[in-house]
Amino acid sequence: MSTQTRLRAWALAFAIASVPSLALAAGDHAHGHGDGPEIGQPGNAADISRTISIIMRDNLYEPESLKVREGETVRFTIINRGEFVHEFNIGTATMHAAHQEEMMGMMESGVLEPDRINHEKMDHGGHGMKHDDPNSVLLEPGQSGEIIWRFPDHATLEFACNVPGHYQSGMVGRIQLSH
Amino acid sequence: MSEPTLFRAAMLGTGLALALMGGAMAGEYNLSVDPVEIDTGEFSRSGIGFNGASPGPVLRFREGEEVTINVTNNLDQDTSVHWHGLILPYQQDGVPKISYPGIAPGETFTYRFPITQSGTYWFHSHSGFQEPDGAYGAIIIEPEGREPYRYDREYVIQLADAHPHSGDRIMRNLKMMPDYYNRQQRTLLDFFDDAEAKGVDAALRDRGDWGDMRMMPTDIEDLQGFTPLINGKGPEQNWTGLFRPGERVRLRFINSSAMTYFDIRIPGLKLTVVQADGNDVQPVVVDEFRIAVAETYDVIVQPTENRAYTILGESMGRTALARGTLAPREGMAAAVPALRQPPLLTIGDMAGHGGMDHGSMDHAAMGHGSAPKGEVDHAAMGHGSAPKGEIDHAAMGHGMARAGDDPVDPFYAPGSGLRPEAANGGKFLSYADLKAQKPLYEHRAATREIELKLTGNMERYIWSINGVKYADAEPIRLTYGERVRFKFVNTTMMTHPMHLHGMWSILDNGSGKWNPVKHVISVAPATTVYMETEVDAPGQWAFHCHLSYHADSGMFRKVVVEGGPDTASAASGMKSGG
Repeated sequence: MSTQTRLRAWALAFAIASVPSLALAAGDHAHGHGDGPEIGQPGNAADISRTISIIMRDNLYEPESLKVREGETVRFTIINRGEFVHEFNIGTATMHAAHQEEMMGMMESGVLEPDRINHEKMDHGGHGMKHDDPNSVLLEPGQSGEIIWRFPDHATLEFACNVPGHYQSGMVGRIQLSH
Repeated sequence: MSEPTLFRAAMLGTGLALALMGGAMAGEYNLSVDPVEIDTGEFSRSGIGFNGASPGPVLRFREGEEVTINVTNNLDQDTSVHWHGLILPYQQDGVPKISYPGIAPGETFTYRFPITQSGTYWFHSHSGFQEPDGAYGAIIIEPEGREPYRYDREYVIQLADAHPHSGDRIMRNLKMMPDYYNRQQRTLLDFFDDAEAKGVDAALRDRGDWGDMRMMPTDIEDLQGFTPLINGKGPEQNWTGLFRPGERVRLRFINSSAMTYFDIRIPGLKLTVVQADGNDVQPVVVDEFRIAVAETYDVIVQPTENRAYTILGESMGRTALARGTLAPREGMAAAVPALRQPPLLTIGDMAGHGGMDHGSMDHAAMGHGSAPKGEVDHAAMGHGSAPKGEIDHAAMGHGMARAGDDPVDPFYAPGSGLRPEAANGGKFLSYADLKAQKPLYEHRAATREIELKLTGNMERYIWSINGVKYADAEPIRLTYGERVRFKFVNTTMMTHPMHLHGMWSILDNGSGKWNPVKHVISVAPATTVYMETEVDAPGQWAFHCHLSYHADSGMFRKVVVEGGPDTASAASGMKSGG
């Protein structure tokens, strides 16, 4: 099997496997009523109550945990000060676990290298490869990104980097929701 | 201040060194080498330990610290202590006749050196068979900066293969009869089974091939009949580390065995490998990994359930099982699965013998032992010629982990019987997975290549390099500042963990600038493995197979590093020794 064919086969398998989590992240959740876990939704710039800056290093976040209010809309400015690719992703532990499988696939197919994202391969890899979920940013060393997120009223959430091995070595933090 | 000046200052005494260095830490440690009793739960014997016990204490240093270690010899024979994996002046390396004369009975030798690295290491006697007899301990060096991972608690998991016989007696027996300790010999009944399975002719041919090799398919562990220990405790004594569910636990695995490789797993837990041989690697999540003799691997686990988990270490030849436990409370235990079937070496593992041409044989298509003799023409293969079909790991490493491919570990010969598989069908760590987190050196082309054939005569239990045993060999001469590419060609059917003292071994696993930085490079039968060394440490160093009985019988070299800025001051530092 050629690399291209393999890549396509993988991308297809991946797209099928990842439908549920994508639906959760981008579909039901954005409207706030689904059967899956509540994680919030992309927020409006007008509703931003504050900006939290997140620094990503190898392999950790500063700060290590977050406190936000129920229903609060927060702007996250995220910068990767490490030498490896890192992700900032808001979700539940279960969602992160599923996403880690996807990112393992990205690494195995060469889309994700330790210190760069192979955009050419990513663009040819189908929807799942694009890593364009609104609840996450994937950044190369030196890059920065932004997420405006409206948190729900009740949820058990983590921010995490799902690059293979990073979550397991501790690149994950709790998001505590308060009244 | 120049480095040589610093070095001399340190040698004047830690107090003065402290003043000169503006607040560097200094620590003084005392270590005695003592006769001890070793109780494995299966047998007791007298042995050798440190500070009255085997294993010795866990020495905990800090990166940047100037250490002073007073080692007192309470034995009635010479001793020594080697700091395995530590980068230090050669006179402090603790190898008798290479670093220093050793430590005579009743004497104290004072080691002084700066700690310039961090991670998990160990120490052991480098005299005779004192290490197999129990003289080993662990070293933990805390880094100056924050590590690229987090954990809530940590444990050293130091493995050993305690044998009821003393090292001297084992060596005598091996010399007399190399298969003395091989309890898995092929019997006449096995032959009838083979004959039934593949016909009498094939079975006979198979036996003939193995006989020519002076080896047997079961020659995986020279030394059987040992009790595997975890932190000095046998399987029944069940070493236990406590955790609270949800915590991240860092396990610092150290293989201090004389002869035994272990396949490590903890059923129910993923193992996130974050360090190999003291150097951080890009984290890789696996189900199981193989630890060569003298290697270290740090893994992070996160047990979430309120129950016990068994730490399992099956010996590579499946003759023994190391067992410990992680549990929320003392006294808990989890299931201990039985040993898996012992592997058998195959024709694939034989391929390195005599420099067999890989290109002419399709090992993958060959069943065990089914190679028609005519195709494997030993006579036609010169010992000196490089096999033209040799495996290029650098080229293979990249293709290794592609999704959908059958996972083939390029660090085993095609068709090898030794290629490990995870017990749960999951991911087994390969050397190809190791990528440096922070490479210690700029990636550059090597300035020259040195080929080292790993050779042996099993019948006389002589192990050697390029066919010459240590006693008859000239030192390997290196020049300060060069980057040497060592080419290990394993022509034997045993796996050899090669250990260069004093300088790092950069394993070429095809990761380029991310090639991992190690101190032990394991070379499987019939494979060729490359490592590169930045020659940055003047003086003279040991370079050997870390299987105790292979090193002692001759698979050993002295390495002399000529030139370099520190040679004069390093030589003057010698005086400070005890």
